Amino acid sequence: MEPAVNGRLRVIAAAAIILLGSLVASGILEARVQEAPQASLKTAADNAQGQETPASPRPAKERMAVYILLAWVWLSIAVLLGILRMRVREADRVYSMGLDRAAEKAPKGPGH
Amino acid sequence: MNVLRAWIEERLGLRAVTLFLEKKEVPRHKHTFLYYTGSSILLFLGIQIVTGVLLAFYYQPTLAEANASVVRIMTEMPLGWLVRSVHSWSATFMIALVFVHLLGIAFTKAYRKPREATWVTGVLLLGASLAFGFTGYLLPWDELSLAATKVGTNLPKALPVVGAWLTRVMRAGEDVTGDTVSRFFIFHVSVLPLAVMAFLGIHLFLVQRHGMSVPLEAERKGVKVPILPFWPNFAFREAGVWLVLLGLLMTIAVVAAPGIGPQADLMAPAPEGIKPEWYFLFMFQTLKLFPARVLGLNGELVAVLIMMAGMAALFLLPFIDNRPFARKGKVITVLAWAAFAYAVGMSIWSLL
Repeated sequence: MEPAVNGRLRVIAAAAIILLGSLVASGILEARVQEAPQASLKTAADNAQGQETPASPRPAKERMAVYILLAWVWLSIAVLLGILRMRVREADRVYSMGLDRAAEKAPKGPGH
Repeated sequence: MNVLRAWIEERLGLRAVTLFLEKKEVPRHKHTFLYYTGSSILLFLGIQIVTGVLLAFYYQPTLAEANASVVRIMTEMPLGWLVRSVHSWSATFMIALVFVHLLGIAFTKAYRKPREATWVTGVLLLGASLAFGFTGYLLPWDELSLAATKVGTNLPKALPVVGAWLTRVMRAGEDVTGDTVSRFFIFHVSVLPLAVMAFLGIHLFLVQRHGMSVPLEAERKGVKVPILPFWPNFAFREAGVWLVLLGLLMTIAVVAAPGIGPQADLMAPAPEGIKPEWYFLFMFQTLKLFPARVLGLNGELVAVLIMMAGMAALFLLPFIDNRPFARKGKVITVLAWAAFAYAVGMSIWSLL
């Protein structure tokens, strides 16, 4: 692989690791928000009295935290898709040039 | 690292698998996108297993605790509502993809010789997926799930000889009670997963054994279809599809998380607007439209028998249409389109 492509791959990989790291960190923070007492939500006992339970957390802070988490997820996906696109192009190029088959035919050195 | 690799290789002999994957080729043509549906089903099955295990830590399958434990998961457990939502939506995604996968194979006639057994195990997997949906629907134990399960488990009753027995087995008694919840839970987390693993193992083995089918036109004309190495060319593309599907799943799970109704009351009358999950809607609507008596016979019995005949035809399709692979099979294509249009039309009608 060319050095320029290698360098670019490293930068993208580093960015992806940072993004995923912050994603995990933000996920832990959001989980802590969830763990806080939720006065606005009903308890199990209320449900037995014939009322519907809301599907997701109502307080604005929690909703925002979840939407931020979602934004991080999409950002990470976009970065990973970018990396995958480069890898696919590279793999297709290697295949179309027949390099993979050439590598198979190459004589193996000692120890292989 | 090399020492560890050698240690593992010496004991497990995984080199044969990696060699197989290195040599594996995927045909490249206008229907290649259908190959992604199979692997995406596996992705959603994996998500189902992970989220299902998380939910099972807190869920209690008893009359008194079933609904309350789901409410607790949603309100007290960290991100519990999201785990439940992802579980519910990934089931929807998985079943939708199973239908697309099945229809794609029906349209491309990929079920023909030598892939009959692959089709049969695929239909069994469809049945298991629907059974997962049916058993899972009751577990929150709210008014709607109780009423829908009563309707669903009442259906086999129309069958002569075995009908009443079948209903009793499903309900663990004469009526839907707390015992039914326990029974459905055991089926949902134990019996069905074992069945799926067995069918899936055979299905995947057969897919690898026979390879991926190519379009009929190419087969007929004897054209050599271009190929793509599975590793890494196809696997990376597949990973991209998985990522997009994961993003979509997360988004829908956050935006449209399912709620839970009031705890089911065994003595209360059925609530209005009972509806099963979307994949049973066409059957539900068909039953609703069937007259009480057809040619002097019980209408429900006739409807159940027609549905069973349809399922049997689907299961035995490779043996009904057992012509050489290169034959077009226009009748099957028309029938598949008609069945698809019927299911979609009836489902929409049911929602209106």
